[in-house]
Amino acid sequence: MKLYVPHVGHFEGLEELLNGSDNIYAVYMAGSPDYIGTGRTNLSAPKLDEIAEQTEYAHSKGVKMEVVLNSSCMGGQQLTPEGYRAIDWYFDKLNTIGIDSITVADPYIVEMLAKDYDMDVVVSVLSFVDTPQKAEFYEQLGATTIVVDPAVNRHFDKLEAIRDTVSCKLKLLVNEACLYQCPFRYAHFNFFSHANGPGPKPNVLDDYYYYKCLSLRIKDPQQIIKSPWIRPEDLKEYKHITDTFKIGGRTHFVNWILNNVEAYANERYDGNLMDLLDSIKDLKDTFYIPNSELDGAIEQWKKCDKVCHKCGYCKRLAEKAIYTYSGSGDDIRKIPLGPVGDRK
Amino acid sequence: MSMTQELLKARTSLENNLRELLGIPVFLIEMDAFALPCGCGGVTINTRGLQLDDLEIFEEHILKYLTDTVTSLEIEPSFLFARLIPGTAEVASINARILCSSCYMDFGRGSGKQPRPDIYIMRFDRRE
Ligand SMILES: [Zn+2]
Ligand SMILES: [Zn+2]
Repeated sequence: MKLYVPHVGHFEGLEELLNGSDNIYAVYMAGSPDYIGTGRTNLSAPKLDEIAEQTEYAHSKGVKMEVVLNSSCMGGQQLTPEGYRAIDWYFDKLNTIGIDSITVADPYIVEMLAKDYDMDVVVSVLSFVDTPQKAEFYEQLGATTIVVDPAVNRHFDKLEAIRDTVSCKLKLLVNEACLYQCPFRYAHFNFFSHANGPGPKPNVLDDYYYYKCLSLRIKDPQQIIKSPWIRPEDLKEYKHITDTFKIGGRTHFVNWILNNVEAYANERYDGNLMDLLDSIKDLKDTFYIPNSELDGAIEQWKKCDKVCHKCGYCKRLAEKAIYTYSGSGDDIRKIPLGPVGDRK
Repeated sequence: MSMTQELLKARTSLENNLRELLGIPVFLIEMDAFALPCGCGGVTINTRGLQLDDLEIFEEHILKYLTDTVTSLEIEPSFLFARLIPGTAEVASINARILCSSCYMDFGRGSGKQPRPDIYIMRFDRRE
């Protein structure tokens, strides 16, 4: 199994990460937002000399280095002569450094990278590849690897069709935990891309999409179950699709990341499922979901046609498996969620 | 004195001390007391004009002022850190936190002053 693991972006963090586990195949981190931003929050903006130092170190440990430049919106800058030249210059530097792969979301940049550089071209989840047709287009543009949109993580027919259609590598993101069929996804990533890109950066105080996402789950916790995460125990169900899995979470502590690495490497986690999920970490002190309670749910998801109001399986599972925390610190109790139907 | 009065007084005196020390009009735009569900508690002081360089060069002095401030608020000064604006040298806030046992593990696992690129630790007392 090949695990792609988030790295916060500074040397000490990388050292700690790689000394903390032997199960890391590759690490990925953001680059400088001055050229292409990323569709997620970042805690660092490493400069070229820092990227070079960290790449050399990762390679000395036998670990591959991936740089993530997956803006979902660049406002058209990439198509201007100045924009193109800046990106081309940056890619050239990363290529010289010896970066193994670059993750990008814009089709134009996929093609540009594939044509002129030695680095593997990874199509980001923010390209939303969820059908064999889209996968085929990206392969033709030059993709070496496609990270499949997690929205289809529980649609085995789609995953298998994508696998059958393309010969490039596939990667699955296991713990993103966005809302299933999230209405905010495009707008949210476009917002991040501008906030974490070359600018002009929007001066936004509160992230509407994030707050809305959290409050939807608090009102209707079955949404946490419906999120298309993949449990460590269920990786075996995906082995006929790929052996390459990506863990999300480059804004977390090394501790949190290593906990995920061990869980997915061992294909087992005894604890709160919320510990593993990336985008809703703020709710980890709100909900407790004993991971073992979810044993076997994959069998339902494999055959489910995702018409939730008829099926009701995730709702029943939420009522059974989700607890809410009350109190704080040592003085804390777990209260069963109970029926969730009337809470909306 | 009420808790709000104490916060008001502490904010003003820390701001004055930093301005005198650094010779620049650093602003402490907001000082908040907080309590988290995990069991952590403390204060966050949002800053403008303070840079990572200032912390590194004047760390000993800044640490003393910050320690005096949080002690006056009856916060045990065992974990003091700054949060940086990612990818820049700007200090977004300085913080004093009484750590719960789970967050203690998060911060305590690393050895350096920056367990994450956006966090600069000024003081971290390790437990037995
Ligand atoms: Zn845009
Ligand atoms: Zn805590």
